[in-house]
Amino acid sequence: MSSISCTRLTLFTIAAVTVQFIGLSIFVFGFFPVKPLLTGYSGLESFRRPTCDNDGAAYQSDASLPPDRLRFLYQEVSEVPPLYDRFILMVIDGLPAEFVLGKKGQPPSKAFMEAMPYTQSLLANGMAVGYHAIAAAPTVTMPRLKAMVSGAIGGFLDVAFNFNTQAYLEDNLLAQFFKIGWKMVMHGDDTWLKLFPGLFERHDGVKDTVQVDHNVSRHLGDELRRDDWNFLILHYLGLDHVGHIGGRNSVLMASKLFEMDEVVKMIHINTSQDLENDKGKTLLVVVSDHGMTENGNHGGSSYEETDSIVLFIGPKTHASHYFSSNHDTIFQVDIVPTLALLFGVPIPKNNIGVLISQMVDSLTDDQKLRALQLNSWQLFRLLQAQLPGLSCRNFLCDTFIANRGPTISDCKGGREKFFCCLYLNAAALHDAWKAKVFSRSNGTEGYNSIIAAYNEFLSSASEWLSHKATDKPINLLVLGVAALIMSCLILLGLVFFIHKEVPSWEMEDHDNYVKPWEIDEVFSLFGILILVASMGSSSMIEEEHYIWNFLTSTVNLLFFRKAIQSLDLNKARDALSSIKEKRNISRCQVSSLFLILFTGRILRGWHQGGVNWTNLPDISKWLEQAGNQYISLIQIASCATVIILGISILFIMQSKTKVLTVIGFSLLMSGLLVLQHFVKHQDMSALYNKDANLSVQIFYAVLGITSIAVVLILPWVMPMQTPEICSRKNIDMSASVPVEIQNMTRILVLKDSLYIVGCLYITSWCLLQLLLQQPINAMPVLLLFIQFLASMITFSSSGPCHKQWVEITALYNLGMAGHFALGNSNTLATIDVAGAFIGISSHSTFLSGLLMFIITYASPMLFFLSMVLYISVKATIYPLVIRNGNSGEILKTLLGFPCLVPLTINSLLLTVYTIVLLLMRNHLFIWSVFSPKYLYVCAATACAYIGAIIVVATVIHTYIVLFWLRKTFSSSSKEKGGPMVPMPPRFPVLLF
Amino acid sequence: MDRRNSSEKTTTSQGSTMKAPPSISVSEAFIVNALCVLGLAFAFWVANTVFSIDLVSHPSLTLFFISIAELPIVILLYSRYRQNRQQCTYLRAVGRGVLGVPIGALLNFLGAIALGAPVTFQYLPKTLNWALMMSLFTTVPASCVLGSSWADWRRIFAQTKPNGSIEYLICLPAHGAVIGAWFGAWPMPLDWERPWQEWPISVSYGTIAGYLVAMVASLGFVLNCCRSQNIKRE
Repeated sequence: MSSISCTRLTLFTIAAVTVQFIGLSIFVFGFFPVKPLLTGYSGLESFRRPTCDNDGAAYQSDASLPPDRLRFLYQEVSEVPPLYDRFILMVIDGLPAEFVLGKKGQPPSKAFMEAMPYTQSLLANGMAVGYHAIAAAPTVTMPRLKAMVSGAIGGFLDVAFNFNTQAYLEDNLLAQFFKIGWKMVMHGDDTWLKLFPGLFERHDGVKDTVQVDHNVSRHLGDELRRDDWNFLILHYLGLDHVGHIGGRNSVLMASKLFEMDEVVKMIHINTSQDLENDKGKTLLVVVSDHGMTENGNHGGSSYEETDSIVLFIGPKTHASHYFSSNHDTIFQVDIVPTLALLFGVPIPKNNIGVLISQMVDSLTDDQKLRALQLNSWQLFRLLQAQLPGLSCRNFLCDTFIANRGPTISDCKGGREKFFCCLYLNAAALHDAWKAKVFSRSNGTEGYNSIIAAYNEFLSSASEWLSHKATDKPINLLVLGVAALIMSCLILLGLVFFIHKEVPSWEMEDHDNYVKPWEIDEVFSLFGILILVASMGSSSMIEEEHYIWNFLTSTVNLLFFRKAIQSLDLNKARDALSSIKEKRNISRCQVSSLFLILFTGRILRGWHQGGVNWTNLPDISKWLEQAGNQYISLIQIASCATVIILGISILFIMQSKTKVLTVIGFSLLMSGLLVLQHFVKHQDMSALYNKDANLSVQIFYAVLGITSIAVVLILPWVMPMQTPEICSRKNIDMSASVPVEIQNMTRILVLKDSLYIVGCLYITSWCLLQLLLQQPINAMPVLLLFIQFLASMITFSSSGPCHKQWVEITALYNLGMAGHFALGNSNTLATIDVAGAFIGISSHSTFLSGLLMFIITYASPMLFFLSMVLYISVKATIYPLVIRNGNSGEILKTLLGFPCLVPLTINSLLLTVYTIVLLLMRNHLFIWSVFSPKYLYVCAATACAYIGAIIVVATVIHTYIVLFWLRKTFSSSSKEKGGPMVPMPPRFPVLLF
Repeated sequence: MDRRNSSEKTTTSQGSTMKAPPSISVSEAFIVNALCVLGLAFAFWVANTVFSIDLVSHPSLTLFFISIAELPIVILLYSRYRQNRQQCTYLRAVGRGVLGVPIGALLNFLGAIALGAPVTFQYLPKTLNWALMMSLFTTVPASCVLGSSWADWRRIFAQTKPNGSIEYLICLPAHGAVIGAWFGAWPMPLDWERPWQEWPISVSYGTIAGYLVAMVASLGFVLNCCRSQNIKRE
């Protein structure tokens, strides 16, 4: 078999990775399109009929007008008088509509009914109208607030990558109100301030979580007495917190609802008095941004999460004849055009909502039709922007010029034609009706048919626009997938090649390789297949941690079984030392595997991850109930254990050097810094103060400098005196070629320095994680550290008994299982955003993002860092290759599997998942389950690249320094190092 | 670990490994398997008709019934095929089998926990009863036949190299039960919201299915074994 050279291997790998990267980028930009949003703000042109030409340019700019004039101008041209003068928007974060309106015609549960007596009475006597408002996924506060003020559903990437709030620049209600000179006041969640900086006259943004709602309500009485505002926003966060803490049925829920009811009561009584005193009509709108699941979580798209509420409470009895309407379902975005029309401002440009016709019932028929028309014009403009074919000169203009009268045609054909036709039907009917009005022949059926025609256009346009996000350029997607498949095939081929090659070198040594397939190998392949197959099922993606745990523990059980195979309990045959050694190895393996299984089980029980069974008891919940003092005790203990373990594995090494003391000392220092940080700043709120920041920054500096310095300097200062191991284990004293000895020595030094670097890497990574992760995750970090160390012990003694790719796959599984054990899941909600600001004094998106990545990918990265240790442990597994002394061959042996196997597994999962995503693009859960998972997969790919680069860079640097740059050193070492002992032909498997 | 310790304590004689295992004819093997299956069926029948419960409604109790029904059948049947009959009486083999029940249950219990079975008190009886049933399927026949010979245990369970017809009869159903149980765990995380997705119902179904399939397979192997022996003899 022709062997593949190191250079070609490298080139192929780089090519495959590059192709993968390009394919991934193409796919991502194709699949998550940045929606063509209309820029700018709606102005006067929104009250004119959309024309065939590009509008906007034809109209004079209205920005120069003073606010008051603009307001009157709007009133004049809109022909719909504003129904209210003042507006109070009360946002109750996370209130499910079910609590107030009940579910499916059933009234809400008795406890909730009784908790909100005033609101319920308002609903009962028709003073308030309530709707179930379906919120779009993701049901997280900020995107929902954006939707509620702009009427647009943001793209997925917009949501995913917008972790730090930025000013909202698209057209929205607040900007429109601001333009007509409204004075706005905001109390509550400071997200509003971040979204709309500078728009509020007064504000009290809160971030703290305890006194949240008191902070809002304490201003309320004062604000209601004042009359210097037009728009008051109250954002109550408390209910969401109650949900997060205790779920839907929390004992605090009823009292929180009562508190909200009191607020509604206060506002309503006040506004009623104002109305009596002729101080203007005030509309109170109570909305929630999203609902919550049984456990109080949100973010997904289940009914419980998307079931948000809209309550219109105004001085008019809107719909006393509409008693059953309390169970009507609308979309959350529908409130935007409704509010815009109620207050006489242009509808925001990107709105996809539809006017709630019930809310404008008090208008005349003419005005109602005008309102619908304005809404239709706005949607038609948006359609024009998104469907370039809809300029429909030949339809639109022809009709208006010809004015054929109310001929209603059946609407068929392409999307453009369809919308055009619907719109024209409505417009034609409306025009005809208007003409009839002049001739005073007013009939209700004509009116109703216009309403129906408008509603048909509005609802179909709105529906299509909201599904627009799934419209993807198929060419790009196919190209991306093809590139991914190609790179995946190249990587698989490479792994296959080097896997085939290894036996040919080692054939004389081990009969094992002649054997076709061992059960653990079969299982590793089978496990990958299972992973691939499980990606097609949304529930398997939600509960992915079960798969990784199951596979990891099964692989370890199989290793356990394998270790038992050679475990001999018979004491009679212990005479031979080799058998004794074998027995010891086997015992050592059995015990470390037992340790891995045990810690793995604890890790699994730590966080009940996933989506469906998060409410089941787990260790973290139990500890949180037990109290914070235990958690911080555990945190400190884990930190101390990590330090002790990290330093002691350094000193286990056989060849002791003075460098070790220095490294050990610096590790101890950074460990103590972390400990000091824990002891000093136990409570989370203190994390943000300056002193804590400084100590964390010092820790970052110490850790970073130590790691980089050690990697760079260590190969230079490692003494070339390792043959003592050979002399100790010396079996064959026959003469050998000096070059071989030198090579062997260098390899041993390489092994030692990689060992030190590997230990340093994983220990400092764990220390970093201890600092960054939530306190509850301290123990899992320690357990992961132990797992990886135990795996190293197992694999160091396994020799060639396991195949390398199986071991690396097992480690990869361990890393992934650990990823979920740290509380991560495939929803974006579990990303620990709070940790991303530790030790950062000024706000920086890049640094926060980096920290967030470090926190989230703690465990997969630990796997990659442990690869350095693994390479060191396995450095002498193929003595034949090493004695050949060919640099390429040695590097290939060292780096081949440890880099290629994870890259290949990752590439396989990425490719398959991309295909799954493509196939599932119309699935119900595409935005809530599949897309977030895809972001995780992409981030895992990034993690694989970074990890592989770190491993390759470390090993190659060490190799180059030892084998090439220290050529001069080797001659002097002969004199210094004393008698060189020739190498045994068969190199014994080395323990640590 | 536990397996090793328990075996170490009871290690007395090692001579048994050298002897050829007792062979078993095809008809006998068939009867043994048929009786085991009948025992299973009987347990289900009793649970269904007499107590009107099933695996889904009362997993713990049903599993216990299965164990109770299988216990005498398995121990009494397999003790007949004990190794080196000269030194080991029938009663002693029965005693070994009875001793094998808790040990096997412990091993299976630990295995299930390691693979992620819940450890809360609510699930403890279910896990224990499942482990008891597993023990009857996996280790009890082996402990009746092999006794405490570590080498034989290792050969059959760690290396899967059964030697002779009776060992096929021990080895295959045991492996079948374990593999079936492993596969039976897969539907558990799916969101079908069926009652049988609870631990250990689907796993028990998997176990029983795997056990039954492997029994049929073991009959085939026994048949093969006997035929090759006959050919050798001729």
